[in-house]
Amino acid sequence: MTPGEFTIDEWFCVALARTIRDGEIVFHGFGSPCAQVAMYVAKRTHAPQMVLVEGSTYALDPEPAFIPATSNDWSLLRRASHILRFEELFDLAARGGLDRMFLSGGQIDPYGNTNVTAVGALPRPKVKLGGGGGGCNLSATVGALTLWTTRHRSGRVFVDECDFVTDLGHRTPLGTREEMGMPGGGPAALVTELGVFDFPDGRMRLRERFPDVAVEEVLAATSFELDVAGDLRTVAPPSDAELAVVRSLDRLGVRRTEFGERELARRFRWSAHHAGCPCCT
Amino acid sequence: VRSRTKPDKRRTLADAIELVRDGDTVAIGGALSYREPMALVRELVRQDRRDLRLVGSAHGIDVDLLVGAGAAGAVEESYVGFEQDLGLAPAYRRAAESGTVAVRETCCYTLLQQLRAAEYGLPFMPVRGIAGTGILGLHPEYGEITCPFTGETFVAVPALAPDVALIHGLCADRRGNVHLRRPLVLDERFANAAKRVIVTVERLLDTDAVGEAGVVLPSFLVDAVVEAPLGAHPTSCYPHYTYDRAHLREWVQAAGSDEGVAAYLERYVNGGEPAYQEAVGAGHLAALSEWQQSNERWMELASA
Repeated sequence: MTPGEFTIDEWFCVALARTIRDGEIVFHGFGSPCAQVAMYVAKRTHAPQMVLVEGSTYALDPEPAFIPATSNDWSLLRRASHILRFEELFDLAARGGLDRMFLSGGQIDPYGNTNVTAVGALPRPKVKLGGGGGGCNLSATVGALTLWTTRHRSGRVFVDECDFVTDLGHRTPLGTREEMGMPGGGPAALVTELGVFDFPDGRMRLRERFPDVAVEEVLAATSFELDVAGDLRTVAPPSDAELAVVRSLDRLGVRRTEFGERELARRFRWSAHHAGCPCCT
Repeated sequence: VRSRTKPDKRRTLADAIELVRDGDTVAIGGALSYREPMALVRELVRQDRRDLRLVGSAHGIDVDLLVGAGAAGAVEESYVGFEQDLGLAPAYRRAAESGTVAVRETCCYTLLQQLRAAEYGLPFMPVRGIAGTGILGLHPEYGEITCPFTGETFVAVPALAPDVALIHGLCADRRGNVHLRRPLVLDERFANAAKRVIVTVERLLDTDAVGEAGVVLPSFLVDAVVEAPLGAHPTSCYPHYTYDRAHLREWVQAAGSDEGVAAYLERYVNGGEPAYQEAVGAGHLAALSEWQQSNERWMELASA
């Protein structure tokens, strides 16, 4: 990579980071390197007051020397102010004290329900996925969810209806979150390798696209009818400070394990278009 | 006769695993690549236990190995796999897809509440989530309860007292006072909720030394204690050793077929723990303790 260039995995982490608001208590879940890196980017740039809860160690605000390829590792305890017990993290979330978490899915429907359990019907599914960890309950009570996937282009992720709902979105056949008595706010943002989405009225909408992606490509890779924001924008490029966090922290490049070869080959440069943009400098 | 107050609970691995019966509900401590009681897991395979119901949070090679060896009848974990790095659990995936193991996927908080009910001596606990998800459909044993004070309706999950909890700790005395360090994951909850508790440790020490380190599991919770150095390998047991990513990769490759699993068991499991350590290699094992030398060395080991 030449100086001044950046890649989709770097930009993706930055786009995820920008869904975090300063002052939030945020949790990334295990096996989620992009979300994990994103939390450190947010903490060290625009959200210094956030509380970062590591995804499997439950360490608070650690300063790891590198991101390991596994989530429950002592390297993620370095300089942590504290290590929560399992119970403390889940109780915090159950009583509404966890502000945001990151969730992904092998399938995601228009309401942001996600499936990380199985493709095809149980008891003998076509593909048994890993499972949801704590997502099922956390998704019910956490203040806001940031969803992500790096496999949008496959066409298999965004489906009308998930084969199995592991984590709650805005609505299921039983009704809305409110009707089901779930106090959490549900999916607020979604980042894919094609663009950034929001959920006005609880339904997924394309808000920003990456500059090398056409709207038609996004629509074609999404099985359901996708709303597109009237003032669709391109994703704001990463700042030097944000890129520096990604590169200095994830020295092993663990975030790249979330992407296919084609995506990793995408290269971006700063353009004159962005030069005067106040959010990019 | 309860044996938990005996002054000396030291056992061999083989004796300790005699406390596990076919069909038992078995809670496995640790998580993912961290402090899983692998020497006990391998002994379960050697003694050919069958039809176990495995319960736990987010796990990896422990559950995948037991499923691959045919020891598991049902898997009630919140996750089984090797994260983004090494991907899905091949043996579990194959068994689930062919219907040879029952998928009873759970959620971390649900499991915690079930264990708490057992610890609190209550028949159930309410959970605010689960409704609207597919997890509910996998568990006909869950119920529903209306709060007598607010009128709200919750999913009610039954108390879960595992027949056996298997835990790997850092050190213990012969009575079974056990020292663990954080993250504790569900180890404490398992030990309090389970009917029988088997603990392996890196080192057996005298009571004063364990007390000084800090007792996390008091001896009356523990039925058997086994000194099993490297007993968590290939998962980590800090500060003694980091996880063995290369070995996990070797398992993931082997576990892709029944023949591969059989070859792995023959090479690493069937011969006992000394043979296991010999097959892995003394030098290879010793290197895993070098994570403390520097961040650079730790990174090398983490990317092996």
